[in-house]
Parts: sequence; C-alpha cells; structure tokens
Amino acid sequence: MDTLSNVKEFVYIGVLIILAVMLMLCLLRAVLGPRVADRIVAVNMMGTMVIVMIAVLAVKMNEGYLIDICLIYAMISFLAVVVITKVYMGVYRERKIHEKEERTDA
Amino acid sequence: MSRKKTEQEYRKTFAFHFFRWLNGEKDPYLGEVEMKPQEPYKETEEEVKARIREKNMISRRLYGVAKSKEMKGLERFYKAASIIFCCILIYLLLFTVSYLPPVGTADRPVNNEVPQRYIENGLQETGAVNIVSGMILDYRAFDTLGESHVLFVATVTVLILLRLDKKKKNDGEISIEEAEANDRIYEPKNDAILQMAAFVLVPIIIIFGIYVILNGHLGPGGGFSGGAIIGAGLILYLNAFGFQKTERFFTEKTYKWISFGSLSFYCIAKSYSFFTGANHLHNIIPKGTPGAILSSGLILPLNIAVGLVVACTMYAFYAMFRKGGF
Amino acid sequence: MLEWVQFMIGTLFLLTGIIIFGIEIYGAFRFDYVLNRMHMAAFGDTFGIGVSLVGLMIISGFHFTTLKMALIIVFLWNASPVSSHLIARLEATTNEKLEEHMEVEKE
Repeated sequence: MDTLSNVKEFVYIGVLIILAVMLMLCLLRAVLGPRVADRIVAVNMMGTMVIVMIAVLAVKMNEGYLIDICLIYAMISFLAVVVITKVYMGVYRERKIHEKEERTDA
Repeated sequence: MSRKKTEQEYRKTFAFHFFRWLNGEKDPYLGEVEMKPQEPYKETEEEVKARIREKNMISRRLYGVAKSKEMKGLERFYKAASIIFCCILIYLLLFTVSYLPPVGTADRPVNNEVPQRYIENGLQETGAVNIVSGMILDYRAFDTLGESHVLFVATVTVLILLRLDKKKKNDGEISIEEAEANDRIYEPKNDAILQMAAFVLVPIIIIFGIYVILNGHLGPGGGFSGGAIIGAGLILYLNAFGFQKTERFFTEKTYKWISFGSLSFYCIAKSYSFFTGANHLHNIIPKGTPGAILSSGLILPLNIAVGLVVACTMYAFYAMFRKGGF
Repeated sequence: MLEWVQFMIGTLFLLTGIIIFGIEIYGAFRFDYVLNRMHMAAFGDTFGIGVSLVGLMIISGFHFTTLKMALIIVFLWNASPVSSHLIARLEATTNEKLEEHMEVEKE
C-alpha cells in the first residue's frame, strides 16, 4: 500500500496549500472593504476555511481529538459575530440619540 | 384728601420727607450715594460680531492642528517609520529563532531528568492517560490552586471597578426593568431568528463543554477549556434572550456559591493530599484502570471544580462590561 | 481495492468543496456592495464546508471522529445563516445612503 499512502500525502498537502492561499486572499478582502460589514464577513470566511484546514490535518495525522478544536472554533466565530453586531449597533444608536439631543438643545 | 399744594411742591416740603421716612418707604441709597442705578447690559452689534469672530479664531487654532502642514508631514513620516520598524523587528526575531535547536533533539536544556520522570512514571503514578492533565492536577496541583484563585481575584477587582450601584428603591424589580430599558437602545426588540437558533445551539454547546471537562484526563481538554466553552454558551444565552430571563437562574448568589464551593472543595482535597503525603499514609482514593472515566484518583473532581470557576468568571466579565453588574 | 474506491470518492467530494471555496473567493471580489458579497459568503459557508466535511467523513471510515464531523456540520448549518442575518441587519440600520443601492420602503 505504498502508492496509496503517497497519493494520500500528496492530496492532503495540495489541499492545505490551496486553502492557505485562499486564506490570504480573504485577508486582502478584509483590509480593502470600505464598510464595517465587509470586514466582519471576511473574518467569518477566514474562520470557515481554518475549520476545513484543521479537519484535513486531523485526518492526515490520524489524531481524533483535533476535531474538538474545529467545533470550538466554529462556536467562537459565531459568538464573535453576535456580540460585535450587537455592540456596534448599540454604539451607533446611542450616538444618534446624542446628536439629536444636541441639535434640539442648540 | 385735598391738598393745597401740587404734587411737585409737596415733594419739596419737610412733611413729605418725614412721613416717608416714618413709613419706611425711603430707599436709603437713593440720593445719598454717588452711583446711579444701572441699566441692564446691552450689547451692540459690533461687540457681538467681535466676540464671535474671536471665538471662531480660537477654535480654529485649537482644533485645526491636525490639518496644518507640519502635522500632515508628521503623519506621513509616522506611517513610513512604523512600517520600517515592523519589518526590522520581524527580521530580527526570525533571525534569532533560526538559532534555536530543532524540536525534539536530545541535547536541549529542556530535556533533563524532570520531564523524563514525568513521561516514564506519569501514567503509573497518577493513572491519567493525558500526562499534561496528570501534571497540572496531580504533581503540581498547588500551582493550579493559585491559578483558580487568581481568576477569582480578577473577577472581584473588576466588580469593584465597574459595578453600578442599584438605585435605592423599595423593591428590586425596578432596577432590573431600568437596566432592561437601557438595554433597549442596543436592540429594540429581541431578535426572533437569534432566539430560535439559540434555542437549539445553547444546549449543544453546554453539553459539549461538559464532555470536554469530563474527558480531561483521557484526552486534551480539561477544566480550563471546558469552563471557557460553558461560559461562551452562557454568553450566547444572554445575548439572545435578554437580562430578565438570565437572571432567573444566574444571579449574584449563584455566582457566589459556585465559586466559593468549588474553591473550598479544591482546598480541602489538596489539604487531604498534603496530609497523607507528608505523614506517609496510604491514599484511600483508588486510581482505577487507565482509560476509564472514573479513574486517576482526584483528577476528575478537581477538573469539575476548575471548570465551574472558569465558566462563572467568563460570564461575570461579560455581564459586568455590558451592564455594570449581575 | 475497497480502500482505493473509498479514497477516490472522498477526494472527489473534498475537491468539489475546495472548488466551491474558490468560487466564493472570486465572488467576494467581483460584486459591488457588501450585501451582494454576503450572498457568496453564506453560500460558501454552508454548502462548501458541508461537501468538504462529507468527503473527509468518507475517507476516514466509520469511527467516533466521523460522528464529531457530523456534529460540526449540524452546528454550522444552524449558526451560519443566523450570522448572515445579523450582519445584514447591521448594514441596513447603519448605512445612511441606502437609497443608492436598492429601493427602500418607508415604514
């Protein structure tokens, strides 16, 4: 079964390299995007690609516990989006109310 | 009454002055001091214009600093210098890293007899398949006790600094409603889609956290990571459902009793270990077969205690930064 | 022989997933406005990762880790559309020049 393991190694390493290149492009999108929502979307995409990379590594090295890390990563990225949107919308609304009060005062 | 004199002649007579003084109607300063009563201050047009012009000039000088030529040049220089500095720093650090010996060779200074003893006799003496768990909760459990106390002290410090006092009302419900009303700025009504998703996801997250805690001695994980996962589940619940529903099961009393109970249990268990170890008594807690859940002596209960403290700390930090209290 | 068949089918699924990720990246750079880009991001997040993980499940056989990968798929299919909804709501409330990009109904 030597050819099988060689082919397997080749496939895994190829997939990992392609995913790494796409990760860099996502980072470019995060830097470029003019609005805040652009950057949040790009970071979410990066998180998803990292999940696939860790799963491929887990199958490659035959260690079962790396899948737990995948699950934790998915959960943390979801929680980050929830908290960031809530805080940003709250800050925006507070600033609007503040400006409206200042305009009616002055 | 009829008067034989006119009003103006009457005011010059002595009787007028005398009766006015008798009735107390005379203003003591009128006619006695040199100053005349003042009129209210009226600004002329030029004075108003001059004042506004002066104020505009001051604010332009004060706040227009960022737009002046020197500041623009400084900003460009700052950007270039920061990029160059980062590149130099990266190069220096990579250069230093390349001098380190490769991973796993036998002559590194880390590989002396202490890790050798841990690796060879770890499974036999502690009963834990995961040697790292056995090390932090059996060989060096005193350090982990200190770490749990550090978490507790950090929460107490943030509580002192950030806590908002509840207003002194008769019943405590009003303060919760006021806090809820303040929170309404952040979200006009709780999102129905997020609530449906949290309804499904929060039990999954909490069960997964419990799984990671209980398997601390069999695989990677343990108390700290499992506690962080449970804390994240509680934060998701708070974000989806609001403060009132969370206060139904997690109040300040809950936090107090959980932290206090976990840390006391850890102290008692460690004191028992020190006592039996120092007096060469036999430890009655069985080690079990390695690989089973109920094995490795005290490591499982200590994992649970550490996990509870970490979960409460995570949730407490988030609630205090959001709301200013539990 | 069976191992070869299993590996081939699994690799097929995995490469399909990688191609979908590539389409997602291409779409993220081509579209104009952030709400259009989010369409492609959500597409890649649910479909791309589902197909990739099914491929990995087929490669690794019937094992405990296979069930964990199924749990990841269930979690992500529940959580990813909710993230898209929240980001879209953020964009719709904080953008003052929304009329340039779409029709807005005055409520």
